[in-house]
Amino acid sequence: MTEKTNDSRRNFLYLAAGGLGGVAAAAAVVPFIGSMLPAADTLAASKTEYDVSTVAEGQLVVIQWQGKPVFVTNRTEELLKQLDGHDEMLKDKDSTAIDAVSAKWLTDENRKYRSIKPEYLIVVASCTHLGCIPGYKPSAGRKEWGDSVPENWPGGWHCPCHGSLYDLSARVINGSPAPYNLYLMPYKYKSDTTVVIG
Amino acid sequence: MLNTIMKTKLFGWVDRRTGAEAIIKSQLTEYPAPKNLNYMWNFGSLALLVLVIQILTGIFLAMYYKPSAAFSYGSYTVAFDSVERIMRDVNFGWLIRYMHAVGASAFFVVVYMHIGRGLYYGSYKEPRELLWIIGVVILLIMQGAAFFGYLLPWGQMSFWGATVITNLFGALPVIGEFLQEVLRGGFAVGDPTLNRFFSLHYLFPLLLVAIVGGHIHALHVVHSNNPEGIDLTKEEEKIMFHPYYTVKDAFGVAVFLLFYCYFVFFNPQAWGYFIEVDNYVPANNLSTPAHIAPVWYLTPWYTILRSFESKLLGVVMMGASLAILFALPFLDRSKVRSARYRPVFKQMVYLFFVTVIVLGYCGHSAPTPTLKLIGQIATTYYFAFFLLLLVVPKFEKTKPVPEGI
Repeated sequence: MTEKTNDSRRNFLYLAAGGLGGVAAAAAVVPFIGSMLPAADTLAASKTEYDVSTVAEGQLVVIQWQGKPVFVTNRTEELLKQLDGHDEMLKDKDSTAIDAVSAKWLTDENRKYRSIKPEYLIVVASCTHLGCIPGYKPSAGRKEWGDSVPENWPGGWHCPCHGSLYDLSARVINGSPAPYNLYLMPYKYKSDTTVVIG
Repeated sequence: MLNTIMKTKLFGWVDRRTGAEAIIKSQLTEYPAPKNLNYMWNFGSLALLVLVIQILTGIFLAMYYKPSAAFSYGSYTVAFDSVERIMRDVNFGWLIRYMHAVGASAFFVVVYMHIGRGLYYGSYKEPRELLWIIGVVILLIMQGAAFFGYLLPWGQMSFWGATVITNLFGALPVIGEFLQEVLRGGFAVGDPTLNRFFSLHYLFPLLLVAIVGGHIHALHVVHSNNPEGIDLTKEEEKIMFHPYYTVKDAFGVAVFLLFYCYFVFFNPQAWGYFIEVDNYVPANNLSTPAHIAPVWYLTPWYTILRSFESKLLGVVMMGASLAILFALPFLDRSKVRSARYRPVFKQMVYLFFVTVIVLGYCGHSAPTPTLKLIGQIATTYYFAFFLLLLVVPKFEKTKPVPEGI
């Protein structure tokens, strides 16, 4: 046995052993973090069918799709008229900011309505700020809503958590903490009144 | 590497406020360990490793496991289904559950080796009596945790195992029935039992961590025994824990993981020893399986229970077989520790190891008259071993122990 230690050899062995141990430890973390991701049955494609004819004129119904709340709104002729005339108040009037506020079926014809059939608006009901469900305040002006909405309120949604405002096509209004319009999702009409969401 | 870390500014800041460097040096890196420890001394660190594996995998399993005996629509029970969901739908759920199930058996393999080493080399003798006693407490808590855990999948073995064991307590006079109801939360094993067993299954490992801390602290006060069983007085008889035993322990871990991974990945049921086949049948309180036995690590004590005609005596003797471990340091008064220098004790302790294995075999098999007799003989020796230790030192001619190593 020699008195002198070979430091460079020793350091190499330390690094090699420590490095391999580190790689093994990192690999062992994969299944544990992986197990916390949604399980296969949670991920399994889930579609929701809904008969929109059950929603009365002017009524809002909240349904569930993949565990998320979804607004189904039956907008009357009068409510659809309230979509015009406040474009300058909107952060993203054409719903182009991110993919989630758009959908494959969104064309230039229905862009303003954000729906396949103009009267039935179907959007994810989570405020894009921090996920609360906004309250439905459809009539224009402040008569029914008091201070919670601005004077030139076009009708739409008001979020109770942090005061975000959306118009009747769920497009976010300037000055709201929410960054985006309420999200759209893929859906299609199976029959005249039955919609398949997802 | 650790020395490099201990030279950094950040570590210095922590050290001035906690005295971390002194603790690390005295308890780990520069802890003086006997230089002649053999591979039997690897099982302590392995037990600690398995404890960590069990706690870690258990935390992740608890994220998906549901302790409810309620029937689920179109299926079995909420608990049984949640375990099957872990196996089929949860990402890596099969891996984490098998790590936990195999880990339970691995824990007992490692701990039984650790206890056997302590017996053979006299590690329970003065000044390590309390260290041994704390170890027996750890064993009892482990057995409790394992028993509680085995109920959770809510299969046939879970249910009937828990029924049998909770009935044991019913055998005790006066308080028996009360104890039984406290354990079950009802008149039979059922939903309340499952809920409290889950709670206790989560509590016991936390107790283990605390008591293992005490075990290690007690060890570092009285220091490790060694294969020669003599007190080491000279500096040159000891070496620093780091790097000598950190490396040796790491090697032991690598060998252990080889076996552990074989079972986890290729043989998680271990021919029905680690996970009994009947436990894949959902619990049915109206039908007992044809053959029911506890998991292998509890079978030696199960045989002792079965060896007595009177129910009460069986329960008391089973309790006594564990309780006598507490008394061991005071039963054996020989001044010589290691079996290497005790010819009679050496034969006795080997026979004791064989006896425990025979007891385990008998407890795992279906009861027959032959096995019952063998079990009774083994039970007799189990207790005789401890009682003989009272008289053996009076006539045993021990070999001269070395002056040093």
